[in-house]
Amino acid sequence: MKMNLFSGTAVIAGFISLAVVSCKKESAKPEDNDNEVITTVELHFTEQGTSNVKTFKWEDLDGDGGNAPVIEEITLTPDKVYDVHIKLLDKTKTPVEDVTEEVEEESQDHRFYFIPTAGSNITIDNLDNDDNDIPLGLTSTWTTAAAATGSVNVVLRHYPNGGKAEGDPVNSSKSSSDVDVTFNTKLQ
Amino acid sequence: MLLSISGTFCSFSQDCDLRISGHVEDADTKEKLYAATVLLKELNKEITTNENGDFVFTLLCPGEYTLYISHISCDPVEQKIRLDRNRHQDIFLDHARKTLGAVVVEAQKGIPNTGFKQELAGKMLDESKGQSLAQALSKLNGVSMLQTGSTVSKPVIHGLHSNRILTINNGVRQEGQQWGNEHAPEIDPFIADKLTVIKGVDELKYGSDAIAGVILVNPKPLRHTAGYYGELNTGYFSNDRQYYASLLFEQQLKKISAFSYRMQGTFKKAANISTPDYRLNNTALQEANFSLTAGWKKRDYDIEAFYSQFNTQIGIFSGAHVGNLTDLRYAISAARPNDIYLGEDTYKTGRPYQDVTHRLFKIKSNIVSGFGKFHIQVAAQHNRRQEYDIVRDAERKGAQMRLAVLTLSEDISWDHPSTGNLNGTVGISAMQQDNSYGGRYFIPAYTSSVMGGYWIEKWAKHKWEIQGGIRYDYKNINTTRYPYNSDPLSYSFNYSTVGASFNTIYKIKDQFKINAGVTMATRAPYVNELLSDGIHQGTGFYETGFIDRNTISIPEVKPEQSFNVMAGMSFGNKASTFSAEVTLYNNMINHFIYLQPSPGDTMVTVAGTFLQAKWKQTDARLTGVDLALNYRLSKQITLASRTSLLRAYNRTLDDWQIGMPADRTTPEITYDFNDKGIFSKTYISVEAPVVFKQTRVPDERKHGVQDYKAPPAGYVLMNLNASTTIRIGKTIPITIGLSARNLLNKSYREYMNSFRYFTDEMGRNIGIRLKVPLEKTS
Repeated sequence: MKMNLFSGTAVIAGFISLAVVSCKKESAKPEDNDNEVITTVELHFTEQGTSNVKTFKWEDLDGDGGNAPVIEEITLTPDKVYDVHIKLLDKTKTPVEDVTEEVEEESQDHRFYFIPTAGSNITIDNLDNDDNDIPLGLTSTWTTAAAATGSVNVVLRHYPNGGKAEGDPVNSSKSSSDVDVTFNTKLQ
Repeated sequence: MLLSISGTFCSFSQDCDLRISGHVEDADTKEKLYAATVLLKELNKEITTNENGDFVFTLLCPGEYTLYISHISCDPVEQKIRLDRNRHQDIFLDHARKTLGAVVVEAQKGIPNTGFKQELAGKMLDESKGQSLAQALSKLNGVSMLQTGSTVSKPVIHGLHSNRILTINNGVRQEGQQWGNEHAPEIDPFIADKLTVIKGVDELKYGSDAIAGVILVNPKPLRHTAGYYGELNTGYFSNDRQYYASLLFEQQLKKISAFSYRMQGTFKKAANISTPDYRLNNTALQEANFSLTAGWKKRDYDIEAFYSQFNTQIGIFSGAHVGNLTDLRYAISAARPNDIYLGEDTYKTGRPYQDVTHRLFKIKSNIVSGFGKFHIQVAAQHNRRQEYDIVRDAERKGAQMRLAVLTLSEDISWDHPSTGNLNGTVGISAMQQDNSYGGRYFIPAYTSSVMGGYWIEKWAKHKWEIQGGIRYDYKNINTTRYPYNSDPLSYSFNYSTVGASFNTIYKIKDQFKINAGVTMATRAPYVNELLSDGIHQGTGFYETGFIDRNTISIPEVKPEQSFNVMAGMSFGNKASTFSAEVTLYNNMINHFIYLQPSPGDTMVTVAGTFLQAKWKQTDARLTGVDLALNYRLSKQITLASRTSLLRAYNRTLDDWQIGMPADRTTPEITYDFNDKGIFSKTYISVEAPVVFKQTRVPDERKHGVQDYKAPPAGYVLMNLNASTTIRIGKTIPITIGLSARNLLNKSYREYMNSFRYFTDEMGRNIGIRLKVPLEKTS
């Protein structure tokens, strides 16, 4: 009996020391993401026939939640034509990663939609195409009319299962939104 | 020696082809006693009973025999038998009641817990082979499921789930990533030969926070008679072409009588599932698990080491992996998913999917001394959960959310020597935990420690039984988040929680007893409730905990506290043809923590606008009743029913509580065939689960719209089960089972399945299963 109690105590002591030794561990890994996080959407405007360049951005540096995103107002001149290209950036990485490249590489599975409000007096067309000749929208042409205020909704749809077709509406259930941001616009 | 003599003697005399079969039952609870040892003294032949409490000795010569029957939790019994023709002998064992602690922790069998307890074993457990733990448990009255599609399911007990249920995996409190609705328990049900749900006093051994109860996943005890036992379980299901095989082998060597071991492994693979009208892409799954047990048992002590590993990879239906609110509303409003997500019949999984590994290692020891019994257990668990999202670039191979949690736990308990009618256990336990995350943020990294102690006493005399217990736990949590482009955020929390339970049982007569108890449980908030901050894919919600990154003054989050009053009655008539069991409960939960969708509150992200759902506290009341009836109409026909009703009310908002299971009742009719030739235990049963529409949901006129879609209509299904046991060569009893779920291929949706927004439930699923045991006693 004594033997048992002794061995029992030894076992307990062993277990406790094992536990104490093994719980010394610190975890400290910063957030990293294998999928690029899009923190920034930039629209680069070049007025046709000039070299006037304007850039407007939508930016949420701390990712989803936390601080609200900073959204610049797109201010353009009335009755002009602009060549526009879009850039998506991941500023959580150093150096900053250009996510636009990913979209370009898998252009058949992506599509941008630009939806101006009716009173914004902006027309957007001439979207570039992917390899299958279906609109992609990395570049586009924006035409402004008389002075007005409104907004433009910029949406990037992702077709992870393929099936992207010319007639797909922005809310096609074949795709989901990677980007869905709204800029206020002012023509003055 | 004796054996050889009598054997020789017999061969010279008359025909020695007689048999003694029998059935061992607990005299009190009428529970079939599994693994009872039956010794045929004259021949020194020893066998153990199967899960139905049955045993059989064959090839016996006529004569006088003595059976000596013993069971780990009972007093042994000796019985004389005169054998001149085949005999069947029923044996009833009385509980020894020497020490109560042995019940769950050590014996893991024949729990003399006469409190609130439900068990799934034997035939019912066999019928659930190949299914998940939650699916198996949902056969118990009062237990339902919370599902994410057909592949992810977790148990719900009396309306409560996740961290409110303690799952005890072979004696160790399971510590995985249990907080998410789509995080299923990381346990292979094939490990268990019995699944038990307990409530009340015995909960306190595992924690003060078992608000919904405790699920015990118990393997059978290691073999303690020389010889080996092997078992193969295999099966196939038609709907998703699922096949599985589970092998078990255990042995006790004659030369080293103290040593015993067991090896067990399971493999399971399923293709995409199909609803009655369409097949859902990316709903395949794969699972591979194994466990090893080794034990050393002497008269005064035993020691056991156990290692198990659980690995699963589960595809998430791509049509439900929608993005923002606009996408979600569009997908929900459609009558069926877009064809692009339908029709592939393959075992392959693509993104999105989850990959989960759970490892458990434990050592436990029991020591018997003059001062009572001591139990010591240390365990280490490692859980790794990886979620693979849809990514823009197919070149990316990694997971977007990675969680890993390491848990160490130490438990020591002491069963004091029985003093007359009083038995008791005192225990202390400690736990240390370390969680880390990578990728997409949802919960922070944290370290946590718990110290606790409990004391339980049980008193029994004549017709009365009184049980009581108390437990205290102190929990400390230190969290750190590492956000983009800013400094780490750290928070610390300390919680003291108390659990207590008191239960009285009065036995009016044999098979008729009443039971009343009250249990207090206190649960410290979990880190996801405190600090979650992110999008749960597929839910369309942006989920925020009590504290988000913009919180300046940290709110006080109180532990959830429940006062559960339960009353039960079980009745059986003398002829054992009728039995009824009823349980009533009223669970008042203060500071009930739940996820409240806040209509009108939105979160703007780069991927669009999301609805916000915030963790809130309220006072809730869960009232319900479970009723089980069983009536044997004739020797062949048995009628049974299980009914479970629940009313869950949010007392603070004066409204129904969201996300609670609807009322349900399942009538069942079973036809048992007479044994004939090599066929035995043949039956066919049909059940028709009736699930009512959940009408008790938050009223939108009171607090706005809180759900995307009204609860689905009620439904009635038809399920079928049939089984027979064939004896080959008189010794190997092979059991063949046939099952059909949703036999009529009905299209329906279930309120407790988050995919009800997108798809119908699984269509007809026909299954066939085979169980081959192989035993040799030496």
